[in-house]
Amino acid sequence: MPPSLSHQQARIEAERCLFCFDAPCVKACPTHIRIPMFIAMIRSGNVKGSAELVRTSNALAMTCGTVCPEEIFCQSVCTRGKQDQPIQIREKHQYATTHGESSKRKPALPPRTGKRVAVIGGGPSGLGCAFELAKFGYRVDVYEEKKPGGVPRNSIPSYRLNDKQLEMDTKLLSSFFTIKRGPVSARTFDKVRASHDAAVLAIGLGEDRTLGVKGEDVKGVYPVLEFLERAKSSPRTMKIGKRVVVVGGGNVSLDAAATAKRLGAERVTLIYRRGEREMRVWKSELEEARRQGVEVRFLTNPVAFLGTKRVEGVKCRETILGKKKDRSGRPIPVEVKGSDFVLEAEMVIIAVGQTIRADWLGELKRRASGYLVVDERFRTSMANVYAVGDVIAGEGTIVQSVAHGKHAAQAIHHQLSERP
Amino acid sequence: MRMEYKNFKEIPIYPKRDLSYDFLGLHWENPFILAAAPSTDDLDMVRRAFKAGWSGAILKTTSIEGTRVDLCYPMMSTFDHDGRRLFGMGNIDLISEHHIDVVERNVRTLKQEFPEKVVGASIMAGRKDDWQRLVERLENAGVDLIECSFSCPQGNIGEDPGKMLAQSLSATELTARWVKEAARRVPVSIKITPHVTDIVEVARAVKRSGCDALTASNSIQALMGIDIRTFTPYPSLGGKSTYSGMTGPAIKPITLRTIAEIARNVDIPILGTGGASTWSDAVEFMSVGAGVVQFCTAVMHHGFRIIDDLTSGMGHYLEEMEFRSPREIVGKALPHIGSHDDLPRRTIRSKIDRRLCIGCDQCVVACRDGGHMAIDARPDRIPVVNDDRCVGCGLCQHVCPVDNCIRMEEIAIQ
Repeated sequence: MPPSLSHQQARIEAERCLFCFDAPCVKACPTHIRIPMFIAMIRSGNVKGSAELVRTSNALAMTCGTVCPEEIFCQSVCTRGKQDQPIQIREKHQYATTHGESSKRKPALPPRTGKRVAVIGGGPSGLGCAFELAKFGYRVDVYEEKKPGGVPRNSIPSYRLNDKQLEMDTKLLSSFFTIKRGPVSARTFDKVRASHDAAVLAIGLGEDRTLGVKGEDVKGVYPVLEFLERAKSSPRTMKIGKRVVVVGGGNVSLDAAATAKRLGAERVTLIYRRGEREMRVWKSELEEARRQGVEVRFLTNPVAFLGTKRVEGVKCRETILGKKKDRSGRPIPVEVKGSDFVLEAEMVIIAVGQTIRADWLGELKRRASGYLVVDERFRTSMANVYAVGDVIAGEGTIVQSVAHGKHAAQAIHHQLSERP
Repeated sequence: MRMEYKNFKEIPIYPKRDLSYDFLGLHWENPFILAAAPSTDDLDMVRRAFKAGWSGAILKTTSIEGTRVDLCYPMMSTFDHDGRRLFGMGNIDLISEHHIDVVERNVRTLKQEFPEKVVGASIMAGRKDDWQRLVERLENAGVDLIECSFSCPQGNIGEDPGKMLAQSLSATELTARWVKEAARRVPVSIKITPHVTDIVEVARAVKRSGCDALTASNSIQALMGIDIRTFTPYPSLGGKSTYSGMTGPAIKPITLRTIAEIARNVDIPILGTGGASTWSDAVEFMSVGAGVVQFCTAVMHHGFRIIDDLTSGMGHYLEEMEFRSPREIVGKALPHIGSHDDLPRRTIRSKIDRRLCIGCDQCVVACRDGGHMAIDARPDRIPVVNDDRCVGCGLCQHVCPVDNCIRMEEIAIQ
């Protein structure tokens, strides 16, 4: 985790902020934190006020202050960056939430509306939605199988985010709504819907996509979520191969590769079927993974996982980028005949995306990609059922999920308050 | 995928701390008000300020209809320091171009729309009749407080150019009496200048006049800088310039001293103004005797929105200090101010924290050439204080760029 700013560093950095009006950083932040104002508060020595401002806007303030990819949001549009260097906004956000833990002043709940909303899923989008709904005075029940937190709790590696930070967020949130622990099935979903004025699906994805390549079921070949969850929950007992191959090209694959390296793998190779330019990762994460010694092989496709009892290697084939482009606008890789080679490996991690795990969504309308269809008010095809987060948008960042939840809550409020 | 709800609005969750209290017979929502300045010259601007949370405003200085207000432009200039804009701000503005007819209408509208806010108005006139007419008309319009500008740096109506009423004790007392005579209902505050030999005498003159309060203090007459190629001072108006009234952070220490000196010697309520930009500045102003604090330059720089930090910061400060009301701050620093003779004589030495020192050796050169040659540079760049030479002047502590790295410590006398 990056070291946090000292008081003096925070002040000096705050003094650089131009305190822009109608600031681009506020618009670029999915949760619209009033960034120039919280920085002005740090500058004036009102760190508690600064933390309150951040916490009001972002349900997972501490978590986002630690892992938010500022390079793609607030910081990328910082006006100061046009003069010299952009303000280190995430670091300042983290400074505020770390040092501004409020004294005696606790957040206050508004008067109850008497209406109840169920939020299914206690990840970033669910918590963001529940927090915002509670601000309007709804009684909110959050249904979550595990401890609340979702992806940041279960699969973001602990070197990037520790449980203590997440717990600071969930502890503050706990006064706003009730957490109901337990799995949700088709039957419970019906019951939950019947007992609430609205239900929000914030169930995330959770099911690893497979490659459909020969040998994928051999022992030692891990779907990435299973790998990351085990690495996080029991890092000591987890056996890591000497040589690890990670198949993927997104941020999760980088997390997995860096985690494998940290847990003792000697050689970690990430293979990706396209080039560096096509990779959908945050540059800082790629740099970090490389710094930790992860080797990245571009234009490489796995064609088979070798080994019978345990995985022994990955048979790979080189690719070139074709002229045709896929739906994402990136060129489709074409395999090169006769270019096969083998990467030896005692462990393989497959990180090629996720799909929806829940099997009780029944007739809810889906898009071609498999994600749920919602309208501009986050309504699904089922009456009084809304959906937010990865389940409608695919894998997103934490802050985007929190923002989804927050915006959906406002949409829900408008509709519930229009209804008698 | 980015999804935004179009009617999105942030909902606050942290309860706002009550900062209200009584001062000068008026109820203030918080200690932060707008000084008589461009920010209070337009009805819509004041409306926006009130909605943003300011507890009151002194409308820009007005005058009797027909008074000539001969403005020239540009009127603003700044004193930028070390890359920071607006360390000081200079203006050659005059009173408002809105005469009393507009201002009394604005007062009426504002009191109707914002009955809970303190609506003050600043006035300036020459003749007794005019001063008194202004007071009567404002009182009739429902004003809460009248401030009299005795201290515009460009001079007062009826005085010699550049001469301010508040620089003459007799004129101050006489004019203040006229105003107070006319004011039947509302408190009157006299806005004074620090450009006098003895501020206490001025304050006493106001006190004798029967006026209710002092606004301390107006801008500092200043020459804002000179273009060294054309030799025209700033602001340049076709090659000519004049002295400005300087405001902003640069004048804060001057104002603090002015308020403190009045508060230590004369029993009269003070509205503090001149150089406050943050909630902690306001605490400082109040601690030397100000009952409320006026803001101008900080608002002209960053807008009315700074009230969010002012109220939030003040709230957290009161909580930390276990004060029930901002009122409790007033005068807290005064017992700690005395004359030079009263100060304790102690033997102190500079102490450098080796763990914090970053080796810039600024203390070395400052002490060598401006102190007592008591700090020695070392090959490892961490300087060492020579206790035999150090007298404890404290210069090194203030040139050190690192928080808390150099401290002055009392040593046992051998």
